[in-house]
Parts: sequence; C-alpha cells; structure tokens
Amino acid sequence: MLLELTGVEKRFGGVIALRNGALSVDAGEVHLVMGENGAGKSTMMKIIAGLQRRDGGVMKWRGEVVDFANPVEAARMGIAMVHQESLLAPHLSVAENIFLGREVRGRFGLIDRAAMTQRARQLIAEHHFPLQAEWQVERLSPAGKQLVEICRAIQHGTSLLIFDEPTSSLSESETKEVFKIVRTLRDRGTGVIYITHRMDELRSMGDRVTILRDGETVHTEAMSTLSTAQMIRYMVGREVSALYTREPVTPGAEMLRVHNFSAPPAVKDVSLTVRAGEIVGLAGLIGAGRTELCKAIFGLDRNARGSLWVNEKPVHFRTPNAAVKAGVALIPEDRQKTGLARELPIAWNVTMAGLDAISPYGLLSHASEKTITAQSIERLRIRCDSGAQKAGRLSGGNQQKVVISKWVSRGAKIFLFDEPTRGIDIGAKREVFEVMDELARQGAAILMVSSELPEILQVADRILVMRHGRIAGELPGRTTQEEIMRLAALDTTEGAGPQ
Amino acid sequence: MIQRLLPFLTLVVLFVALSIASPHFLTATNLSSVVRQTAVFNIMALGMTLVIISAGVDLSVGSILAMGGLMGTMAMSKGQPIFLGVAVGLATGAFFGFLNGLLITQLKISPFIVTLGTMGIVRGLALVVSNGLPVHEIPKDFSYLGEGTVVGVPFVLLLLVACALLVHFILENTKLGRYTFAIGSNTDAAVYAGIPVRFHTTAIYAICGLLTGLAGMIEASRLMTGQPTAGQGYELQAIAAVVIGGGSLRGGEGSVVGTLIGGFIMGLLANGCDLLGINPYVQQVIIGAVIILAVSVDELRKRRSV
Repeated sequence: MLLELTGVEKRFGGVIALRNGALSVDAGEVHLVMGENGAGKSTMMKIIAGLQRRDGGVMKWRGEVVDFANPVEAARMGIAMVHQESLLAPHLSVAENIFLGREVRGRFGLIDRAAMTQRARQLIAEHHFPLQAEWQVERLSPAGKQLVEICRAIQHGTSLLIFDEPTSSLSESETKEVFKIVRTLRDRGTGVIYITHRMDELRSMGDRVTILRDGETVHTEAMSTLSTAQMIRYMVGREVSALYTREPVTPGAEMLRVHNFSAPPAVKDVSLTVRAGEIVGLAGLIGAGRTELCKAIFGLDRNARGSLWVNEKPVHFRTPNAAVKAGVALIPEDRQKTGLARELPIAWNVTMAGLDAISPYGLLSHASEKTITAQSIERLRIRCDSGAQKAGRLSGGNQQKVVISKWVSRGAKIFLFDEPTRGIDIGAKREVFEVMDELARQGAAILMVSSELPEILQVADRILVMRHGRIAGELPGRTTQEEIMRLAALDTTEGAGPQ
Repeated sequence: MIQRLLPFLTLVVLFVALSIASPHFLTATNLSSVVRQTAVFNIMALGMTLVIISAGVDLSVGSILAMGGLMGTMAMSKGQPIFLGVAVGLATGAFFGFLNGLLITQLKISPFIVTLGTMGIVRGLALVVSNGLPVHEIPKDFSYLGEGTVVGVPFVLLLLVACALLVHFILENTKLGRYTFAIGSNTDAAVYAGIPVRFHTTAIYAICGLLTGLAGMIEASRLMTGQPTAGQGYELQAIAAVVIGGGSLRGGEGSVVGTLIGGFIMGLLANGCDLLGINPYVQQVIIGAVIILAVSVDELRKRRSV
C-alpha cells in the first residue's frame, strides 16, 4: 500500500472541514474521490500534498507515519498534485514553468536554460504532449496549461499523483488526452488519486472509489460493484435537517424572462422565467455557469448575448447601473470582494445602491439615511451597535444582511441571490431565508443560486439545474437531492449503472 | 482617540515650540507669509484628498498648476480682463483633470501610470506653448489674488477656507462625496451596487484639476509671472499633506481637516527650519522623515483598532 489515511481531521477556526478522513491508495491504482461541494475532498488532497497540515489522525506513506510541512517535502517523497486552477506563471515558458522552484543550476549557481529546455523537451516527447518547451504559457489553451501542470508533477519520479478535477475546464478531446495520461501513469505503477464530479468519467477510469460527505469518508468500494444510484445515495445521504420550510405562494405576473441567453464561455443558450412571488432555485456543480449567468443578467458581462425581459418589456443591460435602475438586484457570491465596503459604516453600505432617492440635486439627506438605516437594521435584524459601525466588523451573517438590505431599502423587485448562505451560521441562514420569503410574498421575483441541496429543497418553489453552462432540466420544489444530482452530474441520462 | 488627534496635537506642539524657539515666529508678517506659502499646495492637497479617498493618485498636479497659471496669464497678457484670465486658468486645470479622469476610466489604466504620463505631457505642452519663456505682461492688480488682504487677513487664506468648506461639503453632504468613499473603499462593490463609477471618477479628477488651476493662478499672482516651470515637485507636497492627515493611498480614508493639518505641519516645518537657520538640505531630510513617521503611527493605530 502506497498511502493510508485514517481519522484525519482539519479545522479552520470553528469550521470542521474534515472530521474523519480515510483513504488508501495502492501503487498502479486509479482511485476516485467523490463528494458534494464542500464535502472535504480538496482539504484531504491538500493535506496529502503538504499544502495544509492535519489537526489529527494518521497519514502513512509506504507504511511510515508522515507529516509534510510543505509541498516540497511531499514532492521529495514522490507525491505531486495537479491543481484545479492553473498555478502557473503565465509569462514564463513551458520549460521554465515545469522546473519552477526546482530550476536546473549550472556553473556559479546560475540557471542553465539550455539544460532545462533540453530536459523539458525529453519529458514532452516521452508523453507525446502537443507542447513546445519554448512556448509561453500565457498563450496556451486551458488543456495545454493542464498538461504543463502534469509535466511539472511527473518530472521527477512521482509515485503518487493527485488530480483535482482536472477536466472541468477541458474540451471533450482534451479530456480524452488527460485520461490517456492517467492510464499510462497507472500502467507504469504510479498511484493516482482523481477527484471528479462527472460520473461519466468514472466508469472508464477508476479502479476504486472513496466517497466523502460532510467532511467524513462514508464509503470505499471497487468501481465495478458500485452502481451510480448507490454512489449518489452515499454522496447526499445525510438527514435533511428541518432548517426551514416555505409555504409556496401562487405566482403572479412574469417579472424576469431570460431567453436564448449566452455569456461565452460559461453560459450557453439559457432560457428561464421568474414570476412575482416565486423563489426559483438554480442548482448545479461548481463551474456549471450559475454565477456567470447571474452576473451576465446583471449587466456585468459585455459579451452576453440573448434577450432579457423585465416586467414583460425587453431590456438590455450594458452596465449594472442599468440593471439596478430596472429594479434588479444581485447579492454576489463573494461578499468580501464585491458585496461589502468593509471599511465604511453600515449605514453607508445600506444606502449605497439607493442614494439617488435620498439625494435630491445630488445633496445627501442625512436624516433620510438615518431613517432608512434604522429601518433596515430592524427589518433584517442586523445585530450591531449602531449604523455608524464599520460593516467589516460584523459577523458573516450580519454582513450578508447588510448586503441584502442595500437592495431591500432601494426597493428592488427582482433578486439574484448567489450563494446567499455561504459562510454564515445556521441562525443567520434561517433569517436570510425568512427575508427571501417575505420579499417574495410582497411580490418580488427571486432567483437563488445555491450549492447546498437541502437549502434549495427547503426554499425553492421550483428548481432549475445547470450543467456545463446549460439548463439541464427543471424539477419541482419537492424533489429529492438524488434527482438534482443526477441532472447536475450525469452526462448520459437515466440508468447509467455499472457497465 | 488620542491617537486620532495626533496630527492635530503635533501641529499644536510644533506651533508652541516654534513660538518659544524663535522670536520671529509669532509675528503677523511671518504667519501671513506661512499662510501664503502653504495656501498654494494646501488648495492642491484639497483636490488630492478627493482623488486619494477614491483610491487614486494624481501626479500631474504640479504640471497642471503650471499650465493653468500660464494659460491664465497669457490671456491677461493678450488684453483680457483679470477675472477672465483667472477663469481661463481654472478651466485649463479642470480640463486636464477631466482628461486624466477620462484616460483612467476609459483605458482602464492605473491612475499612477496615467498621471505619470500626463505629468510629462502637460509640462511639455506648457513649455511648447510658452516657448519656455515666462509671461510677464500682467496687469498690476492681479497681484491681489496672491498678496492682497481683507481687513488684515490674507486673501488667499479666505480662498483656502472657502475651498476647504467646499470640499468638506462635497465629501460629507453630496452623493458624489459618498460615492468617492465607496469607490475608494471597494471599487468592485461600488460597481456591483450600480454606482456609475466611471462618471464619478472622472468628476473627481476634474475637481482636482479645477482646484489645481486655482492654485496655479495664485502661484502666478504671487510671482507676477506665468512660469511654464512652476509647481515642480508640488504633487509630492500635496500627496504628503493628505497622507500626514490620515488619508490612505489604499483609498476610502481621508478628510479635509486632516489634509489641512498635514499641509500646515509641512508649512510650519519649512518655516521653522528657515527661522532657526537650518540648512535647506537638512530640511528635506526632516520633512521626509516626518512623512514616514506620521504614516507609520497612523498605520499602527488602524492595525490596533481592527
């Protein structure tokens, strides 16, 4: 046995990312690791590759307990990782990237460029990669970059290679290329850990599969004996906690219509409608194009094509400003980066989108601002000392309520909530859902992106599932997690059992 | 709280210390000369305050000051009345500020680079337009702008107070002021909130240019010439005044009161060094050290309060 993990734990502050991680990998095996978003897969891989240190449990490498302080130590043992996002230096050449941090030294300790290029050429030729050592990485396709990452990982006798969703950015033919490499490596006796969301990839690739759920390893089995249905059950099988239940409202007039809408490359030909009083869930895996769709609707993507109707009138948003004026609101996924001005007072954040209404002739009414802030703090139950407090000092949940109140106080009618409960505690989640429900009851139309399946099931009246930039299907609000996962992850439809 | 007041306390201590150290300090002549000397870059610093709060910077103000003064005095030398000459100076400043804003927002290049470029361009244009020669044929009454008094108070002090009140009003009581803070604190969040970021950014640079144009006319009035080489290095003085007064080059922070205190600290330091006979070369060392000291104390305060 090459690698063995038992009872591995990892905490980030109060959040437990991994509580009981177990995994064993043999030499010459392709071992798939699966689980929902946030199940702890990436954390586990980072611990194995020395990018993070575990807080508990045992990790054995060739039978000996190991603890890597950094990726270099792991690399010395023969463990390497191909990352989901490219970690290459775009302005350097292919060869320079392959040897980044392990440059070939010549006389006087200077970098021996010729030797480095020579070695890179050998490596590329050996694997028949469509690359040239001198090419600049910036100009490569996502697949090309992925190949450079792979070269970098295998350049010096790697015995365990970790792939973290390597094909999420790749085309069909590029994906096949990656598979070929994985098989070649396996046949040479390298152990391969392969993380993926796409079930179709698994059948042809994996020898065994380990499934994680909520930071715990729940099952390991040979690929050939496990059906797709069983796999999904293991992935989502937790008890659905009765966090919140929404009484659906009879929907009113159509408020938002998106038709044949594309935002290349992430969103392809999407059509949907949201009516007054409705909460429509938008489910899908990371990278399915949900965030990109919301941003494109909101006027943040200049390349977006297709038609939009707001209140049954055709519109075209070239900027967020135009979308906001039409009554559209976006509660972005990344609160810190795009939602909140952390250094500014709560009051200033609350009125940021609605300043026009309280500034006749451009002159700010401090009295109106005070009233609006007080109302927002009360309505959304923002727990703070006063509206003058810096927004960045609040807890995650209260920060999110400030972001939401920016739009509620402006009187927005169409809400795009992108992962509204990310990083906030259970109590605040409930309050956020209550606000969404209240808004819908007062006639707002809500589109809610969420990767938390139980939450989408509790809140949404109907659920759209996106896959690879398209709407893969629509489900009623009272569906099951299995149904959603099937639409989100399957490339071939129903009944893809063991082959 | 004490730390927040530190710039002000420094100013007071400096004032008292200089009063004791030099018998010539606390005289009407000296104090009004300090006011006149500092008014020019204090007015520039007020415009710079807006720019820095919006997380930008304007390196071209020294050049714009020269260009404004030059165009204004050229208009007067061609026989235009004084008020029109001043208006030309202000308009010139506003125009080049507007140009800065336009380049920054349309080309999406960082303010540092854009204004580094326009610093050279505007200076060069001023030299080209004037053939490198100063403008001398200016009506005598023009000197009132820089040297005149109103019941014993230097006229420039009144101008400075008026500009300070204006910028303070913009920051505290207008939509533009609020957007300036929003853009500087988190530009992405400002865009996501539907704020017309480009329009307001351009307006901020135009206002900065306008105030710089006024400073250029004051400078020309004090020297009674339109100098194409005027204002060299003033941009750094203006930036220094803002940051000593608590402005942050990361944006979202700064105030008119802080900037004025920062400007007067620099003015008193220069004046004090002159009165005490300190070598002007050493003066530069002292002022440089004060800038670093002031900002590091301010950083410490912020880090502790987070």
